[in-house]
Amino acid sequence: MPTYSNRRRARRSKPGALLALAFALLCLDAAAAAQIYLPPPPPKDPADYGRVVLDQYSASGPGGVVFDHWLHRSKFTCRLCHVDIGFAMKAKATEIRAEANRQGFYCGACHNGKRQFEGKTIFASCSNEPATAECFRCHSLGKTDVRRYQYAKFIAKLPRDIYGVDWMRAEESGHIHPVDVLEGISIRKKPMQLRPDFSIQAKLDWVHPITFSHERHSVWNGCELCHPEIFPAKREGTRVTMFSNLEHRHCGACHGSVAFPFNHCQGCHPLAPRWAP
Amino acid sequence: MFRQLAAVALVLCLCGGIPVGAVAQSNGGTQSVEPWQREFDEICGPTHDAMTFTPDELASLIARCDALLPKLQKLDDTRRKVFTNRLQMCRGLYAYVLESKKSEKK
Repeated sequence: MPTYSNRRRARRSKPGALLALAFALLCLDAAAAAQIYLPPPPPKDPADYGRVVLDQYSASGPGGVVFDHWLHRSKFTCRLCHVDIGFAMKAKATEIRAEANRQGFYCGACHNGKRQFEGKTIFASCSNEPATAECFRCHSLGKTDVRRYQYAKFIAKLPRDIYGVDWMRAEESGHIHPVDVLEGISIRKKPMQLRPDFSIQAKLDWVHPITFSHERHSVWNGCELCHPEIFPAKREGTRVTMFSNLEHRHCGACHGSVAFPFNHCQGCHPLAPRWAP
Repeated sequence: MFRQLAAVALVLCLCGGIPVGAVAQSNGGTQSVEPWQREFDEICGPTHDAMTFTPDELASLIARCDALLPKLQKLDDTRRKVFTNRLQMCRGLYAYVLESKKSEKK
């Protein structure tokens, strides 16, 4: 009659089972590793790239807001909106409410029906009145033909890169002039002492070195948008890898969702082979 | 007449009655500035120059950030959220630069 101790002995005497288990674990590990080494997912269509949908509080009212970064980034620096106005770097983390806009915060910092920009009065956001066609310029989720600006038409004259607009070249060539100061919101500052670009040697031999455009990043982001939140002090051990980037950390805080995608290898690794994403 | 007006304007300027030059005000000089906001502007105004400050200057700015925070937390909801986040970004940057300067010395 098989007793409990007999059964245990019998199990121990089956090294095949253990080997099979070890092999299965090895296969799982290899599969996980293979998944990790897959290239980054193909980016969205440039027209939809950097799109943020805000529908936490407006779904029952005029509908969700669709915010496309390409329009605002052509006119303002990232710093102006994400530091001075206070938009969080993660979608929906700001928790914008209509009342806050009406008080002149967030979208309402510019969209107040009074502020002038490029010779036009910027339309007001979130009035107490019943919804009009003007509301749907922002609250456009699920609606067609309500947006004023169309991507293809808007970017027609801007220089392109392998993926969408080359924003750096657009600024260098004078096609865009992103504004960095908002009267009444920004603190007037002296011009920034620009930080020089530098090269980063990758730890792996086969990875091409990175040229980091510190100057351009400083102009667009200021210092406090990246340090220390995204890139903390060295002592805390910032180890930037493609994996951390793909997890939306480090460079991936912007690249891969708003700034050019990871498939555009040359954007950071200038010597890398060029291919279309 | 013009000379008299100019003299009056000069006196007003000297007394601080008319703001001259670039005034670091986050309200653009269009509204009256509350004391907490003046302090905020003074603290967060020079973030661009953070790298040029000495460790003592940075430590002083960090201490001012810490002293201002409780005042900001008494503001109304959205104002509190916006300015607290902005202040924390300034403080974080100054602490980051201070840390970098300390590790450079070692």
